[in-house]
Amino acid sequence: MISANVSVLDGSLYFTVSLLFIVASFAGYFIFLFTGNKTISKISFGVLIAGFIIQTAAFVIRWIYAYKIGINTPPLVDLYDSMVFFAYVIIFGFILIRIFYDFDALGFIITLVASLALAFASFSPLAPSAVEPTIPALQSYWLIYHIMTLFISYGAFGASFGLGVLYLIKINKTGKNESNKKRGGFLSLLPPAPIIEESIYKVVVFGLVFLTAGIVIGAAWADSAWGGYWSWDPKETWSLITWLTYVLFIHARFTKGWGGKKMAWIAVIGFAVVIFCYLGVDLIIPGLHSYATPGSTPIL
Amino acid sequence: MIMFSKLYKFFSSVKLAIFLFIAIAALSMVGTFINQADTASQYKTIFGPQVYHILYWLGFLDIYGSWYFIGLAVLLVINLITASASILPHTFKTVFGPYPSFDETAAKKSPKAIYEIIESKKDVHEITKVLNSKLGKPFSEKELYYSKNSIFRLSPFIAHFSVIIIIIGVFLNFHYGFRSYTNIKVGEKTNISYLSKNHKPIKLPFTLSLDNYRTLYYKDGIPKSYISKISIIKNHVAVATKNIKVNHPFTYGGITIYQASYGHYKPTAAKLSIVSLKNRKSEKIVYAEFGKLYDTGINNIKFRFIPYKHPKKDEIPFFIELSNNKILKFYVLPYKKHSMPLIFAKYQNTVFLYNGVKNYYYSGVEITKNAYTSVIWAGSIILIIALFFSFFFNHTETWVKLTPLKDGKKTRIEILAVPKKKFESFYNKFNKLIAGIKKDLTGE
Ligand code: HEM
Repeated sequence: MISANVSVLDGSLYFTVSLLFIVASFAGYFIFLFTGNKTISKISFGVLIAGFIIQTAAFVIRWIYAYKIGINTPPLVDLYDSMVFFAYVIIFGFILIRIFYDFDALGFIITLVASLALAFASFSPLAPSAVEPTIPALQSYWLIYHIMTLFISYGAFGASFGLGVLYLIKINKTGKNESNKKRGGFLSLLPPAPIIEESIYKVVVFGLVFLTAGIVIGAAWADSAWGGYWSWDPKETWSLITWLTYVLFIHARFTKGWGGKKMAWIAVIGFAVVIFCYLGVDLIIPGLHSYATPGSTPIL
Repeated sequence: MIMFSKLYKFFSSVKLAIFLFIAIAALSMVGTFINQADTASQYKTIFGPQVYHILYWLGFLDIYGSWYFIGLAVLLVINLITASASILPHTFKTVFGPYPSFDETAAKKSPKAIYEIIESKKDVHEITKVLNSKLGKPFSEKELYYSKNSIFRLSPFIAHFSVIIIIIGVFLNFHYGFRSYTNIKVGEKTNISYLSKNHKPIKLPFTLSLDNYRTLYYKDGIPKSYISKISIIKNHVAVATKNIKVNHPFTYGGITIYQASYGHYKPTAAKLSIVSLKNRKSEKIVYAEFGKLYDTGINNIKFRFIPYKHPKKDEIPFFIELSNNKILKFYVLPYKKHSMPLIFAKYQNTVFLYNGVKNYYYSGVEITKNAYTSVIWAGSIILIIALFFSFFFNHTETWVKLTPLKDGKKTRIEILAVPKKKFESFYNKFNKLIAGIKKDLTGE
C-alpha cells in the first residue's frame, strides 16, 4: 500500500483533498439548481476556485517530486496523472467560461464530471498514484505538447457535453421558443436555448482546433520517435474517429433538418467517443499508448 | 446533361460528406477490434480457419489498406473538390465583388437575415455619416454595403484544400515509402528487412550492422533506455555509425532506422573452457553446439557436448562424450569468489569448465522510408490555421437602402444584415447597434 508519507511528497494527497472541495462545490451547484439562490452559486464558485488552487499546487509539487527522483518528463504519463489533469483542465475551462458569461447552471455538470474523474484517479486500483519512471518510449518533450493540447480539447468536449445535456433538457421541457418563462426553477436558470446552442458550437470548435493540433503533434512525435507518423494504433485510430465525429458536427449545420437538437446529440455522443478514446481503448485494447497496465507495456 | 448535373450535385453534397465521415469512422473502428497485419497462422489460431477466411475475404485483416477504405478516401477527395468548386464562385463574389444589391439580397429571404426600418429627418449626407461611424467604411459608394471579415470566407476552402493535400501526402507516402522491421544479432549484418504490412522481405539499399547493444536501467531495475550502435555499410565500407535509441532514430539517405525492441535468441551453444592441468595457461574456448564434434586441442582428444534425454532432478542436464566413447559427467563446485558455482567435468589432466550459454542479443529495428511526409506536415499546419480562422472570424454583411419619403422631409432607412452563422450573439449585437443608430438619427 501507498503510505501517507509518499502521498504528501508526491502531491497526490492534495489532489484527494481538492476532491473534497470540488464535491462540496458540486453540492452547492446542485442546491442552486433547485433554489436558484445566487449566493449559493457564488459560494460554490469560490469553493471551486479554492479546489483549483490546491490542484495547481499539487501539480507543481508532483512535477518537482518527479524531477527530484530523476524523471525528466512531467507527470502526465500514466492513467492517474491524465485523469487528474483532465479534471484540472475542465475546471479551468469552466472558470474561464464563468468569468466571461453568467453561466452558473453549467457548474453542476462540470463539477460532477471533474469529481468523477478525480474520484476514479484517487480510489480506483486501476490508477495507482505512484510516480513511476517513464518508459523509454515516452521520454520526449513532444509528450508535453501532445498531452496538453489533447487534454485542452478533451476539456472543451467535456464542457460541450454538459452544454448539450442542458440544451436537450431545456428543449424537451420548454421547446425552442421560451414560451413558459414562468415555470421557474432549474430551467429558468439556463440561458435561452439559442445561446446554449451557440455556446455548444463555440466550445466544440475550440476543442476541434486543439484536437487537430494534438493529433498532428502526436503524428510528428511518432515520426520522430517510432516507425512513422501513423501506425493505425488503436488509440490513434480512435482519435481519428473522434476527430471525424466533430468534423461531422461542424458540417451538420449545412444540411437541412439538422437543428439544434441533433447538434446537441452529436456533442453528447462525441464526448462518449472521447471517453472511449481516452479510457476505453486503454482498458479494452492494448496498444502503444496503454496507460492501463503500468510496467507491462512493451518497450514501444 | 441532366445526368451529369445530378452526379455533380451528388458528389458535391454535404450529405455525401456526412456519409463518408460515418463510413470511415465505422470501418476504422472495426480495425481497432481486429488486430491488423498479424500473420495468417496467428489469425487462424485466434479465429479458427473458417472465421479467418471470412475476415480475409471481407478485407478486415488489412482494413486500412483495403480497396474500399482507400476508395472512401478517394471519394472524400472528390467530394471535397466538387463541393469546393461548386461554392467557390459564390464565395469569391462575396469576397471580391461584384457585391449583390440590397434588392437582390432581400429577394433571397435568407433565414439568417435580419431587417430593420428607421425613418429620419436628417439629410442623406448626415445619415451616411452616422451609418459609417457605426458600420465602418462601405465597400461600394453607390450603395451602402458594409462587409466585415469577408476575407475569412476563404478559410473553409483553405481547410478543405489542406485536407486534400494531407490525403495526397498520405497516398504518396504509402506508394513511395515503406515500413519494415528486422532483427539483427550483435556483431552481425543484414540487408534484408520485412515489410510491416505483409512480412515480405525486401532488400535495403545498404547493409546494416549491429556493432553493440545495451540496456540502461533506472535504480529500481526499470529499463531507462535501449541503445543500439548501428553502422551503415555500403560497398563493404562503413559510411556511418550511430547510437540509436527510442525517441532518437537515425536517418540515412531518406531511410530512418528506429530502435523498436530487443531480446535474445534461444541459446544454441554452450561456452566451454578447456584447460589442461599441466599447463594452466592453455585455456581454449569452444562454443559447443549439442551433438557436434570438437577438438579439445589437448592430446588430439575430440568431444561432443550432449544433453540428457531425461535429466534427473538436481542433475546437470548435459554431459561430454569423448571420441573414445568415454562419458564425462559434470560436477558442481561451490565457488566463493563467483556468484556462479563452478561446473566442470574432468578427464585425466583435461578439465572442461562450463561457462554458461552463449546469448545472441539482437536489436529489433524499424526501417522506414517516410517519403513525402513534408507534404503531410505542410497540409496539417495549414489545416490548423485555417480551422482557427474558419471558426473564430465570422463574416457579416450589411446593406443599407435610403429612400426619400413622399413628403420630402423624411428619409426611410432600411437595414438588412446577413451573418455567415446564425448566432444569438450576432443578433444581440445587431439590435444594440440598431438602437444606437436610431438614437443618433431620430433622437429617440
Ligand atoms: C475532411 C475534413 C474536413 C474538414 C476538416 C472540413 C472543415 C471545414 C470547416 C472548418 C468549415 C467551416 C465551418 C464553419 O465555419 O463552421 C467547413 C465548411 C464546409 N465544408 Fe468542410 N471540411 C471537411 C470535409 C468536407 C467535405 C468532405 C465536404 C463535402 C461536401 C465539406 C463541405 C463543406 C461545406 C459545403 C462547408 C460550408 C462552406 C462555406 O459555407 O463556406 N467539408 N468545412
